[in-house]
Amino acid sequence: MITRDSKTGEEFAGKLKKMSWERVAAFSGGPFNTPDWPRKNIHTDLKTAKLSGLETIYVSATQYLGHLAELMIDLFGTRWLSSGVTSNLKFIHPVAEDDTVQIKARIRDIAPDGTCTMDVRCEIQDGTEVMVGEAACRV
Amino acid sequence: MAAGECFEPLEFVVTRELNEQYLYACEDYNPIYLDTHNPVAHPGVLLNMSNNTRSPSFHLPKGWSEIHAAETTEYLNPAPLYKRLRVTWEVIERYEKRGRPYHVLDIRVTDEDGVEILRRKMTNTFAAPKRP
Repeated sequence: MITRDSKTGEEFAGKLKKMSWERVAAFSGGPFNTPDWPRKNIHTDLKTAKLSGLETIYVSATQYLGHLAELMIDLFGTRWLSSGVTSNLKFIHPVAEDDTVQIKARIRDIAPDGTCTMDVRCEIQDGTEVMVGEAACRV
Repeated sequence: MAAGECFEPLEFVVTRELNEQYLYACEDYNPIYLDTHNPVAHPGVLLNMSNNTRSPSFHLPKGWSEIHAAETTEYLNPAPLYKRLRVTWEVIERYEKRGRPYHVLDIRVTDEDGVEILRRKMTNTFAAPKRP
C-alpha cells in the first residue's frame, strides 16, 4: 500500500497476465448467458478481425484498464473506487491474443494534501510499452 | 456523429455471475468483489459495459473497426451488484489527425438512485477495411 511516507520514484508492478482467448472472450464476448456468446467482434473472432484489416485478434484496451484498476486498488485500497483517476492514458501499441501484459506504476509525487500522482504503463512480454499515462489518488 | 450527438443509453445490472465473468477475464479475485454481504462490481465490467460499442445504437459499416486511442477515467463511487446502472455517451469532439477520423466521448455511468459511478473521456479512431 502507498502511504504519505512512500517515496518518489518507488515502482510497483502488477501480476503478469496472459491474454488467452478464453479470458479475452470472457471480457469482450458479452455476458455468458447470451445465446450467441461469444459475440463476434475484432477481439473474439479472427475472421472479423481480418475483415477489418487486422492481422490477428487484438485485445480490447479496456481489458488492461481492468488490470490497471487491480494494481491501483492494491496500492490505494478501496478508496480508489471513489476517488481514483487515470488520465492521459494513450494506447500506443496493440496487444494480441496470447501476449502477456503487466501493469507498472511509479510514484511521481505525493502532494501535501496527500494526493499521490503516478506514472503508469502497461508492457508486453518483450518490454514494449502498449499504454502510458498517469494515475492519481489520495493516500 | 457530430459533436453534441448522443448514442442511445444502455441500462444493465451487474449480477454476481456477470461480475465473476469479469473476475475470470481479468484474473482478479479480490474479496471486495466476492463479499457475501456487499460485493462491488469489478471496474472491468463497468469499463467494458460503458464502451460505446455497447450502446444499442452503435453501428459501424461492415469491415470498419473502432480503435481505442486514449482515455481518462474518474472513479466516483463503487457500484453495488444488482443496482440498475445507466450509461450515457455524448460526442464532445470530432477531428482528423494524419488522415484518420477521431471522436472524443463523454461517458457517464450512474446508478438507479442517481449516484455517479464512473466518468470517462474516451478517444477513439476508426480503421477502414483492407482493400483487396
